Amino acid sequence: MGTRFVFDFEKCTECRRCMTSCSVSKTGVVRMADSRIDILRHWPELPDIRVCRFDDCDGHPCIASCPVEAISEAGGIVAIDREACTGCEACVDACPFHAITMNGGTAMKCDFCGGDPECVKACVTAAIAKGRPVGHPRHGSAVPGPTSAIRGEGGA
Amino acid sequence: MASSMFDTLVRIDCTAKKAASFAVGPGLKSYLGGMGYGTRILVDEVDSRIDPLSEKNKIVLTVGPLTGTTAPMFPQACIVTKSPLTGTILNCYAGGFLGAEIKFCGIDGLVLEGRAPEWSLVLVEDGRVSFHDAKPVMGKGTAETENFMKEKFGSEARTLSIGRAGEKAVAMASIFSETRTFGRGGAGAVLGSKRIKGMAFKGTHAVDVADRAGFAALVARNMDILKAACADGHNLVGMFSRVGTGAGMGLVNKKGGMATRNHEYGVFPEGSEIDGWAYAKKYYTRAISCFGCPVHCGMLHKFRRRDNTESWLRGPEYETMFSLGSEVMNPDPVTLAEANQLCEDYGMDTLTVGVTIAWALEMGEKGILKESGLKLAFGDSDAILGLIRKIGEREGIGDLLADGPRKAAEKTGRGSLGVAMQVKNSGFAAWMPRRMKGVALAFATSNRGACHKRAPIGDEIMGKLDMDSYEGKAPIVKGIQDTVNAIFTFVACRFHEFVTPKDMYPAFLEAATGQKLTLAELVAVGERIWNLERLFNIGAGFGRKDDTLPDRCFEPIKGEASQGAVITHEAFNRMLDEYYAARGWTKEGVPTPATLKRLGIED
Repeated sequence: MGTRFVFDFEKCTECRRCMTSCSVSKTGVVRMADSRIDILRHWPELPDIRVCRFDDCDGHPCIASCPVEAISEAGGIVAIDREACTGCEACVDACPFHAITMNGGTAMKCDFCGGDPECVKACVTAAIAKGRPVGHPRHGSAVPGPTSAIRGEGGA
Repeated sequence: MASSMFDTLVRIDCTAKKAASFAVGPGLKSYLGGMGYGTRILVDEVDSRIDPLSEKNKIVLTVGPLTGTTAPMFPQACIVTKSPLTGTILNCYAGGFLGAEIKFCGIDGLVLEGRAPEWSLVLVEDGRVSFHDAKPVMGKGTAETENFMKEKFGSEARTLSIGRAGEKAVAMASIFSETRTFGRGGAGAVLGSKRIKGMAFKGTHAVDVADRAGFAALVARNMDILKAACADGHNLVGMFSRVGTGAGMGLVNKKGGMATRNHEYGVFPEGSEIDGWAYAKKYYTRAISCFGCPVHCGMLHKFRRRDNTESWLRGPEYETMFSLGSEVMNPDPVTLAEANQLCEDYGMDTLTVGVTIAWALEMGEKGILKESGLKLAFGDSDAILGLIRKIGEREGIGDLLADGPRKAAEKTGRGSLGVAMQVKNSGFAAWMPRRMKGVALAFATSNRGACHKRAPIGDEIMGKLDMDSYEGKAPIVKGIQDTVNAIFTFVACRFHEFVTPKDMYPAFLEAATGQKLTLAELVAVGERIWNLERLFNIGAGFGRKDDTLPDRCFEPIKGEASQGAVITHEAFNRMLDEYYAARGWTKEGVPTPATLKRLGIED
């Protein structure tokens, strides 16, 4: 089992169903600030997708940055114990992917929904998908989806 | 009980630069939201006889019970105001992300009234409203104005704006929101008359629903339906999903219903040069969604302009492929894209702009109109682009055209009114009343003029209804008008209902807000709104004489594939009689007291 996302940024239509489904699964309501994944608009260029990279993150610097050891890794899933979090924001600064945000005074990040991420299920174009384990022959390949960006002959 | 609605609106007094929130009472609540709230408030608060550009006009900007939820295809916000183009009540819609952000501000909408002492930008941050100096963006285009607001107020802000056309009271000026448009009827000129150049919204509120489990099940069912439609290349929504709304031009051409050369012909042979498939093939294309939408019909293209510079455009949409393509005999996708960009920059409705230009080009070819520096002839790229600029600037002949096709023709005379393709001064949408008799009735009777959103287009073009027949079209058109008004209270994307079973609407409403309505009761809300609009328009001086079509519609379509399709006055009048009867209106098109009583309209 790998704990990885793979992204196809050209397939992202910026609809934000990943964000609303994340928020609803974690809090029961739609509140964009409660989403553990964020789509950043760079119109008209491709958007950024901000979320924890798990197996693709080298050394998980957030874990070491936490002065109260509130962040831990188990089976590839890096999670924050928000009860223990003191809100010092060290992990927010340490994360190379800007995937940790402050929410209600404590740090918040994706926990891969324990292995079956809601954002992946919500994404109709498979712009975000579950990746294969590191070392798998096709671990880095994008996952084919029902639609994708169309590159015309006169394209860039 | 939790609800997806906040039951709160904000009233913004531009004159005093002050705002106050107010609660939605039970009377207004029965109109559900969106277009229902907008219509009820405007009819209650605005005298139908006022000058639409006076400070007495108001803009009601609303969202609905499903806005900001996980229900798919409810991204749009609704504006209701009195139109400076038609003089009627106007409802218009923009998708994108504005609607959800308004909801995240913890409000169901706002009422904008008065006139600011100086040009302003308005920031709505949760419920709080503040006015800011608009000087740095005066004279700027819509994208530049919105980018300025995002820099000033935060990149996460969702914005709306007007361009130069709205500043200059061009009657076909639109309000833009990140390339999505409150397109029709000149709402941009009304916002300009209030001296508001743009608005920004930033919200942190949560959107809950009354029945979380029930709502989630409905969303899952609806998503399955939409995904199946998108996977089906023969489904209209599936085609939109692939290359956008311009997917169907070939089909419409085949049926001889592709309005061409100021609606004289029914086939545009060069259609395959400018349709959705052509753009997807010729240019780098990326699909773009509105909030929460799995269809992603918005197509972002990278292309080279005529001067060889690289540029981006989301679109053109199908209606623009008609208005700035076939209607003006323009087969060049680059000219079309640039024409679309110009309309976007000036902040104008591509439909009425294109139709007005088509009329001007025909008048040019007939020697009735001329303009120095431009050759007024169909297919002339410089004329098309030049006239858009002149309308946006109200310069030269543009000042005549900027008031709309009917007003321009009335001033011009010489038989030009009969070929001004408009109803109530609003330019035709991309459809041919002669070819599709239900569309004829829908255009003629629309409360906002020549509207395609409440016409049996799909059923007529796909052959479910005999498009040449008048038979039974009156009750069908009434039914569509009422149903679409009903789902515009939510506020649904028009395409949602193409594939979603109607029984889902009352189910969604109950799960979101707890309001229990049968489908028939929901459609009756739409009918009530339709009649309120009609009463407003009657007050403004409209009646049966205005529920008609230009003379050209009573002459046969030229060219092949249309079989000389025509409308006769007798058949049209009979259809109109049947329509008024189905509505419970008099022969003159006035709702009878019994009808108003049946609908629960007291005043």
